[in-house]
Amino acid sequence: MAVEKMKIVGVIGKNSLLSRVLRLVVVNGSMHVINALVRVNSSDFFLPPSEKNIEALEELPFLKPYSSKRDFSHDEEVVSSLMNLFGISPKVKLEHLGQDYDYDEFMKKLSDIHEEVHSKDIEINERMRSIEQKSKYIESLRYLANYSFDMGRLTGMKYMAFRLVKITRENYDKLKKNYENIPAVVIKIAAEGKYVIVASITPVSLEETVEKIFSSLNHTILPLPEGFAGTAAEVIEDLAKSIEDDEKAIDALKTSLEDYRVKYIEEFEKSFSRLEMEKKIEELKTELAVGDKLFFLFGFVPTGSVQDFKKALESQFGEDVIVLVDDINGGPGITPPTKLNNSKLFKPFETLVKMYGTPAYNEKDPTVFFGITYMLLFGAMFGDVGQGLVLLLAGLFLEHAAKRTGLGGVLSRIGLASTVFGFLYGSVFGSEEIIRPLVVRPMANINFVLAAAVVFGIVLIMGGYIYNILNSKLEGDIEEGLFGRNGVAGLAFYMILLYAASHAALAKSGISPALVFIMAGLLLLMVFKQPLAGRIAHADKLYKGSPADYYIEEGFGVIETLLSMMSNTISFIRVGAFALNHVGLYVAFATMGEMMGSAWEDVVILVIGNIIIIGLEGLIVFIQALRLEYYELFTRYFRGDGVEYLPARLKGIPQASGRVNFFRSMKISREIGTHIIAAL
Amino acid sequence: MDKVALYAAVNTKIRAMEGDFLKREDYMNLLQKKTVADATRYLKERTSYSRLLGDIRVENVSRRDLEDILKRNMIKNIDRLTHYFRDDYRDFIHSLYTRYEIEDLKSLARVIFNGKRPEDMERPLAFLGKYSGADTAKLFKATSIRNLIYALEGSAFFEILKPLLDGKRENLFRFEMALDMGYFSIVRDRMQKVSGEDRMVLKKWEGMVADLYNIQWIYRGKKFYRLSPEELLNYTIDFGDKLTFADRKAMCYAKNLDELYRMTMDSGYGFLFKKEEMSRDIYMERRINRFIYYRLRALMRKYPMSIIRTVGYVWSFDFEIRDIISIIESIRYELAPEEIRKFLVKAS
Repeated sequence: MAVEKMKIVGVIGKNSLLSRVLRLVVVNGSMHVINALVRVNSSDFFLPPSEKNIEALEELPFLKPYSSKRDFSHDEEVVSSLMNLFGISPKVKLEHLGQDYDYDEFMKKLSDIHEEVHSKDIEINERMRSIEQKSKYIESLRYLANYSFDMGRLTGMKYMAFRLVKITRENYDKLKKNYENIPAVVIKIAAEGKYVIVASITPVSLEETVEKIFSSLNHTILPLPEGFAGTAAEVIEDLAKSIEDDEKAIDALKTSLEDYRVKYIEEFEKSFSRLEMEKKIEELKTELAVGDKLFFLFGFVPTGSVQDFKKALESQFGEDVIVLVDDINGGPGITPPTKLNNSKLFKPFETLVKMYGTPAYNEKDPTVFFGITYMLLFGAMFGDVGQGLVLLLAGLFLEHAAKRTGLGGVLSRIGLASTVFGFLYGSVFGSEEIIRPLVVRPMANINFVLAAAVVFGIVLIMGGYIYNILNSKLEGDIEEGLFGRNGVAGLAFYMILLYAASHAALAKSGISPALVFIMAGLLLLMVFKQPLAGRIAHADKLYKGSPADYYIEEGFGVIETLLSMMSNTISFIRVGAFALNHVGLYVAFATMGEMMGSAWEDVVILVIGNIIIIGLEGLIVFIQALRLEYYELFTRYFRGDGVEYLPARLKGIPQASGRVNFFRSMKISREIGTHIIAAL
Repeated sequence: MDKVALYAAVNTKIRAMEGDFLKREDYMNLLQKKTVADATRYLKERTSYSRLLGDIRVENVSRRDLEDILKRNMIKNIDRLTHYFRDDYRDFIHSLYTRYEIEDLKSLARVIFNGKRPEDMERPLAFLGKYSGADTAKLFKATSIRNLIYALEGSAFFEILKPLLDGKRENLFRFEMALDMGYFSIVRDRMQKVSGEDRMVLKKWEGMVADLYNIQWIYRGKKFYRLSPEELLNYTIDFGDKLTFADRKAMCYAKNLDELYRMTMDSGYGFLFKKEEMSRDIYMERRINRFIYYRLRALMRKYPMSIIRTVGYVWSFDFEIRDIISIIESIRYELAPEEIRKFLVKAS
């Protein structure tokens, strides 16, 4: 349970090795790359003056950002075209990247293969079109198959035009009745259903007139092939043969494509991985610094992975690269990224924490505290053995079958919590008649449930105080830790206030003056927190800004503290209210069920009711618990302004520590979401 | 169901619905209105259309919205009648929509051809898809005549329009002509499937309509389009009442318009050309419609227990909507009531 420790690792090497080194970085997948120029210029960067480093030291003052940008559009086209043609599903595989290779050479070869394959593909399409056209010709020629003219002479006439035309029967009748006025010889050749096929012969000079007349009969011209000799039957035979040839050619082309497939399938599969890798490398290069001969690469690597990372580099490149490993010192500089490392039980809750914000590198990771309290809050509001088990099963399904580890993990854990509370409340699918409660039935003890919720809230709030005090201690922040309203002074004030309030309520007596004085004193401490902290730390200046502004702000701050302590505490009453609400909702459905005539209708209503309760109330409780966490607790102790650890790696390659964050896309809406939740 | 019982039921329903038609004095009152808003208010407050126009704001009603409401009402009423019929008869009643759908489809094609959007149209397209079952959303998306034809794929009209797709010939004129020709072949098809007296009376009726349209077409084709006689003949409707094929053919091959007038006189449709040259073109349509209207009433009286009563109701409804829209349009263009009356079909 913690934020993983990091080290800054630098890699310096010859420019010619750049692509191969970056490839190794991506394959290794543990380096969170940072801008190299920022690192080199930061105050704590130090390159030991040894013989090995001499060249690097010489280049240090003349480093520039990496600028040239490569265009991958041609490569992308080649790769995607090949993938489509051979039906290969694009997938990044580690084994395609592990070997030592030269990308440009590989692409050149692939591009050549693509050229050959592509031309074959075009030829196949052309031949298919040709077959289609020829089939149409055959269809038209069938009508002429009984006649024994030479088709070549018929279609090749110089002064006469021959046409084959299809018109409807009605229109044919019209044509026939006005035949004496038509400047063409028209012969009916065949009849097909509603249509008649006619042949027309007309002098070329009158062709246009005849065309118009046919046009007014809504005709369709049947295409005839040109340049074929022999009778229609013979031409059909020729065309059929030619189609056969085309088909054979297509088959041959397809087999030869298949040969390519067999021969190069591995190359094709590799090509996608390698292209993706190259694009990623290009992305990383923007963070680099380069000199005349050397490049400088920097990034954060988790302490546990540093040895492997260094060994991998040194075993492949030996003396050609310099690997620098530095500790992170607390000073100002580059913010180290945060990699959360929690046990399996709490890992899913990281996603919910990150929706609010990534913990800073030197902050205490709140995930465990969040996880425990969230499960308790959800369980207390939605305690039911049956419905909890449904959530648990749904969560397990999502987590293992659908691979939605984040959402599924959270769901299965809160489902478990709901089940446990179900036993405590004695509720199974809403019914309280099946098992006996281990602790209490909410509806029968309303006051107890509401009071317990507030007491539970007080415990959580105190937990928040303690968390904040520990965090402040880590950062050495005396002002917030000791005197802040969420620090020791605030905690003491809160406890005394609670004591005084409960004493006054229970004993019905006044509050002792001593307590009032102590509380006033604590409030004063909070008002004067900055000058006091400054005095203790022997700071140069007691105030960071103008004192007037400071006191106005703090004055209102104290009033806000008083108000929010009340409201935050009372806010937890909703935990009890929702526990009651849960029972109430079921009672409503149970009553409706009884109003139904038959037993099976009763059951139907109860099943529908349970679905609504799980879907609707489950969602509301999910949000309400989140709201309590974010608004009442996180505001007290959690800043969440860290940078997420995003190592350079390719999507789709399984890494030992890799895990896909399903909420990443939701991060944008995080800010808005927090506000909405706060408003609830 | 027995024919007598069937028509007794249908005709009772029709008589009830005819009660909603505008009365003569309604037309007179509408004609006196000075603004579109006044006319609309009259319809809304004083006629049976009040329940349709309840939500409309008379101050800024557009012709398009009004026409759309009226036409949808017509569709609703015709749909009511189809419930009385079965099988082939029901198909026939359904085919009465074809005329109006084709009209809508043609205006949509014209808008597309002129590069405008269907949203800017003056006319509503209430009947689109009513007969053909075409997907109107798809039709509205079309940006060329070719696209429009493809959007009709799967409907009865596609077969008619398909020949336009090969090559460069899918222009607006051919599109309109193909649909018009298609309409009459659909009508003839349906007509053949009804029986007995119904078929006889329909044949007479549709034959007369075809005669009138044929004369109008030949006249226009000769005067404006300058088509060759062969094309003219091919575009005529291939059936008729008084005109035989020989008559039609002779008309198409008439040397000039005077010869055509003479032939028309002989055929018994001379009233089409009676008045002086100028008014002939403007009022021909109206004269045809009025003739149709009165012939329809005569047929309805003569064959009360036949399908012509239903057909007559549909046409009559159509004429009423046309008249209302004519009045509204004319008021917009500030025509005098006397002038407006010259365009009306049912009232005058």
